[in-house]
Amino acid sequence: LLWKESWELAKNPMASKGSPLQGPRIKLIENVHKLFSETKEHVFESKAAEEHAKLLRMQQELEATTKQPIFVDSSISDTIRTCIVLGNNRAALKVKTEFKVSEKRWYWLKVFALATIRDWDALEKF
Amino acid sequence: MAQIPNLDNAPVNLTSIRDQSQKELINLLKNIRGKKCLVIDPKLSGSLSLIVQSSLLKEHGAELRHLTAEPIQTDCTKVVYLVRSQLELMRLISSQIRDDTSKGLQREYFVYFVPRRTVVCEKILEEEKVYDLLTIGEYPLYLMPIDEDVISFELDLAYKDCLVDGDTTPLWHIAKALHKLEFTFGVIPNIRAKGKASTRVVDILNRMQIEEPVNTSDIGMPEINTVILIDREVDMITPMCSQLTYEGLLDEFLGINNGAVEVESSIMGVQQEGKKIKVPLNSSDKLFKEIRDLNFEVVVQVLRQKATSMKQDYTEMTTTNQTVSELKDFVKKLNSLPEITRHINLAQHLSTFTSKPSFLGRLDMEHTIVEAQSFDICFEYIEEMIHKQEPLVNVLRLLILFSITNSGLPKKNFDYLRRELLHSYGFEHMATLNNLEKAGLFRKQEMKSNWLTVKRALQLVVEDTDTANPNDISYVFSGYAPLSIRLVQHAIRSGWRPIEEILKLLPGPHTESKRSGYGGNQFDNLSGSMLNSDKVGDGRRSLVLVVFVGGVTFAEISALRFLSAQEGMAYDLIIGTTKIINGQSLIEPFVEKLC
Repeated sequence: LLWKESWELAKNPMASKGSPLQGPRIKLIENVHKLFSETKEHVFESKAAEEHAKLLRMQQELEATTKQPIFVDSSISDTIRTCIVLGNNRAALKVKTEFKVSEKRWYWLKVFALATIRDWDALEKF
Repeated sequence: MAQIPNLDNAPVNLTSIRDQSQKELINLLKNIRGKKCLVIDPKLSGSLSLIVQSSLLKEHGAELRHLTAEPIQTDCTKVVYLVRSQLELMRLISSQIRDDTSKGLQREYFVYFVPRRTVVCEKILEEEKVYDLLTIGEYPLYLMPIDEDVISFELDLAYKDCLVDGDTTPLWHIAKALHKLEFTFGVIPNIRAKGKASTRVVDILNRMQIEEPVNTSDIGMPEINTVILIDREVDMITPMCSQLTYEGLLDEFLGINNGAVEVESSIMGVQQEGKKIKVPLNSSDKLFKEIRDLNFEVVVQVLRQKATSMKQDYTEMTTTNQTVSELKDFVKKLNSLPEITRHINLAQHLSTFTSKPSFLGRLDMEHTIVEAQSFDICFEYIEEMIHKQEPLVNVLRLLILFSITNSGLPKKNFDYLRRELLHSYGFEHMATLNNLEKAGLFRKQEMKSNWLTVKRALQLVVEDTDTANPNDISYVFSGYAPLSIRLVQHAIRSGWRPIEEILKLLPGPHTESKRSGYGGNQFDNLSGSMLNSDKVGDGRRSLVLVVFVGGVTFAEISALRFLSAQEGMAYDLIIGTTKIINGQSLIEPFVEKLC
């Protein structure tokens, strides 16, 4: 029964997508995380919710520093790509370590991103 | 060429079904006097176009509109809505009516539900306070022939509805459609079903027969001998593989909708910038009938042959003297030229997709997964696809194939791929993953996979398939014989009993039953394949109706046509389905749409 309840909640924040109020949404997702962690079978779901909240926080920060509202609601991979495209390697690396992105995926993302901005020199070096 | 298929060659009188639906619709319009505006649910208009030409509707004084969120613009004082029983549509209707009243327009409104009214919808109309302004009716369109040998029940989401949301109304709808068929063609004496949904349909159908029996005395011999029902759930492997028949490929890449495909006009060699044209695809097109079920490799050869022989004829014609009758033959051949050009254009367009290395790579991988020999290679391929952020549906197709052939993935791999998916495509896909898991399409491994046993017992992977002169249904996937069709093959030949052990390995129960709705004349079991009773009086072969609960792919239809055309086959096959599907249209409902 508990997991049903938490699913309802999990869907809730998604329904509220697109609202400018990110604060309450993060809280909601954190709630979901707690609910999921109360059972044993839902370790995965609980972790995902935790990461989701963390990602949203970082994206908010990024939007504040870059002054470009393009981060929130993109996936982790997309976030990394956007960072590299914008030339913000440090931020990209931070996201990478924060979410333990595997080297394999990291390379793909970097190659794609550098190719998009036609930064062939960087691609060559790397 | 008309989009409405010619049904004259159908093994059973499908024209009568279509005519009946057409008559019902016209009557419905006739009963409303004067000019009226017919507002059609956009989802229905495609199906309706297979039943009736829009000019015929206009003859009966109807202006045609699609139902949209915009208020209707018309001078008519009578508005007729033709809609499915969907909640959102009710809201659209009520907002249109309210808009009219606010403008002081006085109109008469009629709402016809297809195929039947539901309490919920009427409740909504009441809540929106427009119920009293309406006349409500039904237009009982449960099934429509979409080609000589294919009947569709046009249920868009039947598969997801049943598996994820537990909604069983589609099953009632299917049973009702079969029951309707029985009213026309007599009670079908033999029923074989495999899968949870299919067995439920049989139950419902039997109950309907008790409550509202088909009067058999005036129909005589039943025209359909056997119905075989199969759940899509039983075989999710096949739709996940890329179809390789001509028609199947057209559907995979361009999307066939209600027997027509829409393409840029430039592809068809017409110089009209940016305009799309509809190309009808059905058996009325003789060339298409010939090549639709062939493996695409062969189609290219056939077209080339036709073109060269045409050229040869032409040079002969210009160099030598001809008699009048020879000239006549030549002109006759010329008539088929537009058809040849049309399909050469389409085939050329298709080959731009099929020659891509990414497509060939995917085919290769599909075969590797189906062979189920090298787990690691498949796993890494899918992982790389996720990392490259390839279109989610493509990834899911392979992933589902991978998961099913392994009876789910070991927990470690399962969690890893799930995490990578969420990271690459966004956390909102948690809901998508949940849907897939609930439907058993992508899940954790709980027992050892029995795919290898099934594969071997039913000979699903066939080496050395000759696509040009096929001797087995495996040609449709260049080496993989669709599981669903293998089951049908067995069911037709000998019933379920000899393969019971295998059936138990596949999801859902199976049943086999006989019904007697007609006087004493009991049919023998099908196993006595060539018994006299199997032949209908006038020498035609008797009929087997194969129903796919949850949709069927064009490749599977092709495989069934192939079986039907085999020598020594005692039956004609016709196909019933909730919808024509492909891997993409099957998975899309699972991907959770937000907002």
